[in-house]
Amino acid sequence: MNCGRVRRRFSEHRDRALAAAEARAITAHLEACAQCAASWRSFNADLDHLGSLPVIETAGEIAAGVFDRLDMERRQPGLSLLFRPFGSARPLMLPSLVPAVFVLVGVLTGALALGRAAEPLPTVRLSASPSTWGSLLPPSGTEGNPLFSMSEVSPPRVRSGEVVPSYLPAHPGPGTVFLETVVARDGSVSAVTVLGGDSELARPMVDALRRERYEPARFRGRPVAVSIYRLFSRMEVWGGV
Amino acid sequence: MASGELALSTAESRPAATAAEPALVERCRQGDAEAFARLVALHEGMVLNLAARLLGDPEEARDIGQDVFLQVYRTLGGFQGRSTLRTWIYRIVVNQCRNRQRWWRRRRRAALCPLEDISAADEARLATASADESPFERLARRERARRIESALGALSFDHRAILLLREVEGLTCEEIGTTLALPVGTVKSRLSRARDGLRRGLGREGEERP
Repeated sequence: MNCGRVRRRFSEHRDRALAAAEARAITAHLEACAQCAASWRSFNADLDHLGSLPVIETAGEIAAGVFDRLDMERRQPGLSLLFRPFGSARPLMLPSLVPAVFVLVGVLTGALALGRAAEPLPTVRLSASPSTWGSLLPPSGTEGNPLFSMSEVSPPRVRSGEVVPSYLPAHPGPGTVFLETVVARDGSVSAVTVLGGDSELARPMVDALRRERYEPARFRGRPVAVSIYRLFSRMEVWGGV
Repeated sequence: MASGELALSTAESRPAATAAEPALVERCRQGDAEAFARLVALHEGMVLNLAARLLGDPEEARDIGQDVFLQVYRTLGGFQGRSTLRTWIYRIVVNQCRNRQRWWRRRRRAALCPLEDISAADEARLATASADESPFERLARRERARRIESALGALSFDHRAILLLREVEGLTCEEIGTTLALPVGTVKSRLSRARDGLRRGLGREGEERP
């Protein structure tokens, strides 16, 4: 057996894992070869020195630490995962993924909630009638709702038939008067009110209007009381020749 | 629990401890805290020192120690006794250290700390352990330890684990195979390569070639 083959068997020879015949051959070679014998001693010495490395003395602190961690996990299993001390540089293993999953789910849920389309506004129910008041008020022209549209009523007409009322020429000077005349169902004027303008200037007109008689206005064939609004303006016009 | 209750003697002889192991395991399974403290006291030295040599960092080893015994406590119910408790714990230590080293490697931290970086506490421990040595012997021993640590650190994790389990913990190749879930033939070949690697790391490469 040559030196190279012997030295390749050092590992198995140290473990006494060689067959008896091979082990005897190696032993014989080591007795005969000083260089291989020195290498064999060095080989064993190096491996034996592994056991002489510095030894850590223990003081029973591990059991106390284990019981502390077990106690903490029993009391607060979730918090022990969440609040693992970062300074300990402990590897984050599978249990540490649990809070990460919770955070991920929370973020995704928030994103979905924010991205969801806004709730549609409630549908406004539109009335079929042209006026929304129509559904709220009693029928027009009744006692509960005296208003009615002009298309449904025939206007009152002055019985005198004057094209230009006689009181207008008596109106002195320029000015504007706004008057309301209430024509009762019998055609008489029940009230004349000055809504705008000089009341002194309007007095002749008010007296004249109170004496007027009308063919009453009719709503669906029946006489009704109505108000007539008039705006009188008088101005002087000068024209050159 | 007071630390005094946990300060059990770790100098119990291994055969006696092994004989009492099934009863101790059974008491631990029943939730006996005192029995578990005794189990920890029996094995914590082995766990810490193996982890320290695998990782090259005593502080990391103390941290790993808690994780190892926490896993032992949680999974002791699944221990079927097909191997010894000691072998079973070795397996947990190696797996925890492998995971820890992968974690550090992902974070680009140096896998091993050189022995020059040992703390003042470690220095005091070294001095206490060799009080009867001369200063020259102490220096030589420390230099040798440094070189061995450096050579160990140059090995792959699997080779380092096999070498330590065989040379330091004294496991047989069959027990190492059980611990690392490897066939015995693979253990033997890796052990041979690990020894060669250690020798190369110690500068004995020239001696290997006649």
